[in-house]
Amino acid sequence: MARIELTGIQKRWGNVWGVRDVNIDIADQELIVFLGPSGCGKTTTMRMIAGLEDPTEGQVIMDGEVMNDIDARDRDVAMVFQGYALYPNMTIYENIRFPLRMRSVPRSEQDRLVREAADMVELGDLLDRKPSALSGGQRQRAALARAIVRQPQMFLMDEPLSNLDAKLRQAMRVQIKHLQRQLKITTVYVTHDQIEAMTLADRIVIMEGGLIQQIGTPDQIYSDPANTFVAGFIGAPPMNLIEGQVKDNRFQSAGVTLPDLPISWDGPVTLGVRPEDCRVAADGGHLIGQVYGVEPTGDMTYLTLKAGDRLIEVKADRDYRSDLDVTCHVTFDPQRLYFFDPKTGQRIR
Amino acid sequence: MASQRRKRGQNRVVRYLILGSWALFCLVPVIWFLSIGLRPRTEIITPQPIYVPTLSLDAWNMIWSDWPMGSYLRNSVLAIVGSVAIDLVLAIPAAYSLSRYTYRGREDIGFYILSTRMMAPAIVAIPIFFLFRNMGLLDTIWALMLIYAAINLSVVTWIIRSYMMDIPQELEDAARTDGASDLRILWEIIIPAVLPGIITAAVIAMIFAINEFLFTLLIASTKNAYTMSVALANFTGGSDGVIYNAIALVAFLAFVPIFVVVVAIQKHLSRGLTMGAVKG
Repeated sequence: MARIELTGIQKRWGNVWGVRDVNIDIADQELIVFLGPSGCGKTTTMRMIAGLEDPTEGQVIMDGEVMNDIDARDRDVAMVFQGYALYPNMTIYENIRFPLRMRSVPRSEQDRLVREAADMVELGDLLDRKPSALSGGQRQRAALARAIVRQPQMFLMDEPLSNLDAKLRQAMRVQIKHLQRQLKITTVYVTHDQIEAMTLADRIVIMEGGLIQQIGTPDQIYSDPANTFVAGFIGAPPMNLIEGQVKDNRFQSAGVTLPDLPISWDGPVTLGVRPEDCRVAADGGHLIGQVYGVEPTGDMTYLTLKAGDRLIEVKADRDYRSDLDVTCHVTFDPQRLYFFDPKTGQRIR
Repeated sequence: MASQRRKRGQNRVVRYLILGSWALFCLVPVIWFLSIGLRPRTEIITPQPIYVPTLSLDAWNMIWSDWPMGSYLRNSVLAIVGSVAIDLVLAIPAAYSLSRYTYRGREDIGFYILSTRMMAPAIVAIPIFFLFRNMGLLDTIWALMLIYAAINLSVVTWIIRSYMMDIPQELEDAARTDGASDLRILWEIIIPAVLPGIITAAVIAMIFAINEFLFTLLIASTKNAYTMSVALANFTGGSDGVIYNAIALVAFLAFVPIFVVVVAIQKHLSRGLTMGAVKG
């Protein structure tokens, strides 16, 4: 059982800001993902929850109790690291047992718990090995076992899958989500991979420049982005952001014309449209551009169009093929257009 | 193809030739010592070189019967082992602190420690002599242990520090969230991980200690504290003149144990010596 509140969290090293202002309320048993580019403050925030870093300002509150002055080793959180951080001189068995030993769990209990945890991540046969004799995926599972063995208040996972190859990453992702649901332990998961965030999270916290840009469920983040940063960060390929002018309720930009806008605005604006909300049309359409690149992936085709000096991504049918420089017409789904103030980057609703 | 293969073969021959000559060049003193040490005294001081020596254990018998070689050997071993133990006890926590904690003046302290190696030992010889005399430690193994430990502490600290800096921070963070205290982390995680570095540092300290002459000569005045290196000096004077074969033999005997240890750990040793250089 653990509910975590971060209130007014700041972290500064001299003049360097790590985290500027973070307020989050993490519910019990929630899997929350901190998502953002490197240097956005997500790992620093997590380390402050773990107690490995002290906040310059603000409070870390766990189940109503202020944790700021409580040492990392007394916080009862378990952490999983990008580099696995297995103790190289110990066997896998000893690695998994280490937190139990540090917490003076009775010896008879230790063995049972270690074997249970190892079985949960299917490592039962490898307990006698040293970490160096394991593959990357096995090491990460061992690190997971070490985290779950003592049933902590909270899991903190710092890019745990970044060192694995794509196929393994997907398998491990499912396993992590499954374990978290099974164990019902509040989890904070840090990643820069938006697919990981979308697939794992109950809620996503998008960070940039030490500030939270948006907090919401994956659906909210995807379909209702608060600003251009969130819009551009989520989705693969990301949302097209097209700068243009609005005049007489009509959006105009190189190659793009869009009448009957749902917003009342006048002047420069940024139009956001996702590649999956574009459709190749025979003629007419909202966008006219020249084919710049065609990338078939099997289940669909990525089509890149050039309009003016801007490249626009479109997801086309899987059989769509075209020569380069052919003129192409595209319509946008009018229900799924986003407008942003180019000055502030904030959404215009 | 064939010519290329021949060329590669030739390259290899040349390479072995060069490396072989260099090895021989380095080994000449050792071979020479052994050859002198195992000859009768008369054969050494002939004006014409004798290439095929007469094997003789004269020197061997002499150093054991006429000299308290056992005491010298014991003094050397105790002083060296003791000094290395003192070094490790002091250097491991110091290196850990220098590599892990951030505090004002950390880099400076690291440099101060190293700077103790930068002055000529002769400068402090007289003060050290009076210091030990006032402490009543002259002519004791304890004094040797302390002075060897002092001489080597900086190098030992720096080698271990450079190894510790290579340990990922994650490992310590993991141990801390797993519930380990600082001392536990040092003892159960850090020390096992830098064991090669600790061994390297210990061996290097041993080499310096076994070769130490100036301070030993100053402190030791009887067989209570004479070590192998100072004992060598005893063979150069007195009514017997310079006893070359005994000098050579003792020097060789002092060389062998270190040589064996270095060969055994040479992989770690080269890493330990270059790491500090690269990482600074």
